[in-house]
Amino acid sequence: MTDTMSEETSTEEQRPLGVYTRPKGGNGWRDWVTTVDHKKIGILYGAAALFFFIIGGIEALLIRLQLATPNGTVLGADMYNQVFTMHGITMIFLAAMPLAAAFANYLIPLQIGARDVAFPRLNAMSFWVFLAGGIFINLSWLLGGAPDGGWFGYAPNSGVVFSPSVGMDFYAIGLQITGIASLVSAINLTVTILNMRAPGMTLFKMPVLTWMLFVVQLLLVFAMPVIAVALFLLMFSRQFGANFFNTEMGADPLLWQHLFWIFGHPEVYILILPSFGIISEVIPTFSRKPIFGYDFMVFSGIAIGFMGWGVWAHHMFASGIGPLSVAAFSLSTMFIAVPTGVKILNWIATMWGGRIKFSAPMLFSVGVISMFTIGGLSGVTHALSPADTQQTDTYYVVAHFHYVIFGGIIFGLFAGLYFWWPKVFGHMLDEKMGKINFWVMLVGFNMTFGPMHVLGLQGMSRRIDTYSPGFGFEAWNMVATIGSFIIALSVLIFLINVVVSVKRAKGQPPCPPDPWDARSLEWMTPNPTPEHNFDEIPTVESLDEFWHRKWGTDEEGQIVRVATAEEVCQDGTATGVHLPSPSYWPLIFAIGLPFLGLGLIFNLWLTLPGAILIVTSLYAWIFEPVDDPDGPHGEHHADEKEVSEEASDV
Amino acid sequence: MITKAIKKTWLALFASALLLVTGCAADAELDTLQPQGPTARDIDKLLDPVLIIAYVVFFLVFGATIFIWWKFRDRHEDEVFPTQVHGNTKLEILWTIIPTLILAVVSVFTLITLSSVNSTETNKVMVTVEEESVLWEPEVVVVGQQWWWEFRYYFDGLDGVDLSDARNLPPADIVTAGQLVMPTGQEIELSITSRDVIHSFWIPALNGKRDAAPGRVHPWKLEADEPGVYFGQCTEFCGLSHSRMRMQAIALEPEDFQTWVDQQLTDQDSDLITDEAVARGLTVFENQCARCHVVNGVNDETSIGADLVSNAAPNLTHFMSRTTYAGGIFNLYEPDGTIDRTQLEAWIRNAPAEKPAYAEGRRGMPALGLSEDEIDDVVAYLETLGAPPSSFIIQATEVE
Repeated sequence: MTDTMSEETSTEEQRPLGVYTRPKGGNGWRDWVTTVDHKKIGILYGAAALFFFIIGGIEALLIRLQLATPNGTVLGADMYNQVFTMHGITMIFLAAMPLAAAFANYLIPLQIGARDVAFPRLNAMSFWVFLAGGIFINLSWLLGGAPDGGWFGYAPNSGVVFSPSVGMDFYAIGLQITGIASLVSAINLTVTILNMRAPGMTLFKMPVLTWMLFVVQLLLVFAMPVIAVALFLLMFSRQFGANFFNTEMGADPLLWQHLFWIFGHPEVYILILPSFGIISEVIPTFSRKPIFGYDFMVFSGIAIGFMGWGVWAHHMFASGIGPLSVAAFSLSTMFIAVPTGVKILNWIATMWGGRIKFSAPMLFSVGVISMFTIGGLSGVTHALSPADTQQTDTYYVVAHFHYVIFGGIIFGLFAGLYFWWPKVFGHMLDEKMGKINFWVMLVGFNMTFGPMHVLGLQGMSRRIDTYSPGFGFEAWNMVATIGSFIIALSVLIFLINVVVSVKRAKGQPPCPPDPWDARSLEWMTPNPTPEHNFDEIPTVESLDEFWHRKWGTDEEGQIVRVATAEEVCQDGTATGVHLPSPSYWPLIFAIGLPFLGLGLIFNLWLTLPGAILIVTSLYAWIFEPVDDPDGPHGEHHADEKEVSEEASDV
Repeated sequence: MITKAIKKTWLALFASALLLVTGCAADAELDTLQPQGPTARDIDKLLDPVLIIAYVVFFLVFGATIFIWWKFRDRHEDEVFPTQVHGNTKLEILWTIIPTLILAVVSVFTLITLSSVNSTETNKVMVTVEEESVLWEPEVVVVGQQWWWEFRYYFDGLDGVDLSDARNLPPADIVTAGQLVMPTGQEIELSITSRDVIHSFWIPALNGKRDAAPGRVHPWKLEADEPGVYFGQCTEFCGLSHSRMRMQAIALEPEDFQTWVDQQLTDQDSDLITDEAVARGLTVFENQCARCHVVNGVNDETSIGADLVSNAAPNLTHFMSRTTYAGGIFNLYEPDGTIDRTQLEAWIRNAPAEKPAYAEGRRGMPALGLSEDEIDDVVAYLETLGAPPSSFIIQATEVE
């Protein structure tokens, strides 16, 4: 790797026209907006996702307030439709997906023994574009009304005649923008996993989490273009009067449904597999046993990824697609339960016979197993297509997918937050508050979504802003509303935990490198992970490499310690590691995109600044030097920390 | 402490499980687990055993988790490891095959039920139309639009009826709104379509739901064992007043159905009006209401002048024979059979205040700016439109 070019040898004159210096790392906020470090980008994803999670949660509370009593008047019908639409969009595209992306960005390079992702600047671009898209969609609240056609945006109700506000324009363009982020990130991480594994790390020595995230990236690569097509059709229909969904001109309104759900059902697995991966790391660690049936776990994940493409029309059993299609999709849906069931049994078998420590991450993981099972079983009742015609678009479905998305995904992501918090921030979250957080969330979650099974079977429709007394909906709706505030309390406990733990850790040395007796490669770096990840790329010999370096077997087959974690862990003091330099251009590029959107919606002139930002940033991106000629350019050496601290003091 | 909490959770879950299996509250008019017709019963018979299997599986998984909790908990205060098991291929194959087999069996029953709910088996019904006996294939055209349902009866059969353009349907023998009236013990074939966005037609006591999509005609069926009023609600999100788009299926004994048909086939004869208020009401109707609404004998569907998105408003010819209006959200009658005049007047005075709509966007009833006298006259006129239904229907429409 090249050494620092001395400042004397690089001057302005030597640079070709239009080539800009690269920013220097390590001074305060500028470090965050220019970073190309996968770990910082992971933290940014996590922070943004939690922010949007809170926004989506507030929207959920508004929904529950409106439905607490019959003939509710908290929100009008129009506002209610905007709020439930935005709740869905926010939670799926702006909270659950980016929170999973936070784990993917932070952990994939570490788990495969790499120093960064394949395309660091592209990675930064993914994050900023996602954030730009998220902010853009939420701008609709201020600029004429949020989307009001449901997150599923069925045509022709999403058309300009039926949804005349600008909300659905923000939906079509905003999701297109976040879609760019997901697609780019998926390609980036796919290449990373395929090409950047440490020596000896074959695909089948990768941790289950990396495997599940790998399947997710492949699903994204193929699913995002489908929603992109659908959103383009919608955008052209709304902006330029195209007739893709104009039934009076002979369009078939089911076109949108097929496109949306061909994306939408793989999307469900895009959301759930990261969580499956997380608890597949947590459960073995806390059970002191290897994952039961690694191959089965990996192949069932791959099977879910494949079969996930053949079940989309189960969202359309009442759409009038004809009994033959219904039969086919009914069967495929039935059998996708098998690989999922295998996973649940394998997790139970992993715990069975273990010596289990029920720390906060483990509690959340066990929560996933039992709560997701409920969601999976109600899912099987949907596969009974005739019965589904009674259940679809009722609260039974709302209960089902919240048991999957909240019980399966959010619990899993919280398990991950508690588990990797010391890895990321160098201090533990408070264990006692973590446990309280889990129990309060479990109670609130079941109080909110459990009754919805009953409400749905009693015939309460989805997406209704109000209901009349006398249908037997009153009591359970009130219970659900109380439950939702208990969930809010549990999230509050988490945030307090973060604040308290951060305060407590101030001025303390970082926690030891291996707080959980963990198993995979990311724990071979000190806490928090140094900028360059590994002092030396480890050579991998087995699955659970880190664990096998700590523990061996003696002649009697007993497990004995061969090394302490401190001995195995690298100390993070390597110097002379070449790292990619920061760059402004990913951020500048991302800022350009919302202007294109605003231009399409309000005034075409607004696209001009957007286009200028995009073209300039792409040009500058391509021609900017590999390293900043003027500075120490992200090169890691021992005294850099002091340098950066001095800089931030100024 | 914690084990106590688990016990409690377990009990609560078990209680809710029992609730689900045994069916829910008795007053739930939209309950999907209390079928009142053969199709809904087929669906229920398919679901019930699967729900029980689901409970068994859930309690096995949950029980295993609780057992693990109790048996394998440890505080890791030493460095003793449990036996390191990496997997057990035979076991894993076993628990792949067992659920596959269970689901294969469930699939067979699913396909059988799917075929039965999609099959049709109709008997022609003898209906007297204008003193002539007609063998009616019991078919009803169901048309959804923002935010109410229309039901059209063609007694000569649907063979020559072009349903491809729902906004311009051929004239029907009976056109009614909000309440689908049908004979009991008889499978009724529905042809469901829409005039604007996608809606979904759902009478849970009689059958599952089927979407009403513009440009498409979806077949579906309804059959009720007993006379009664069966509640429904649009279940595909269809915009602003989606929650206020409700309907009922009213099943009548065949002879009562014939009576209903006879009444519906009678047009209004404005020449018979003697009351002055009614006559003034007719004038208001002709000047204002008739731009969208039809009363057979006063105007017809081709004469609708207003440019509506759906090109339709409820046909009011036999308004008083229905028990609900405004998309099924208001009851026309008090339980004692008197008319709820206050609500009706409020609706005519300012409809958008009573039910959210985009009247200025040509969707939903506008506020017409009628004077109080005009409103009284219109109500007087409306009261002459059709005969009230039997008190049994009026009382069954009450949900509270």
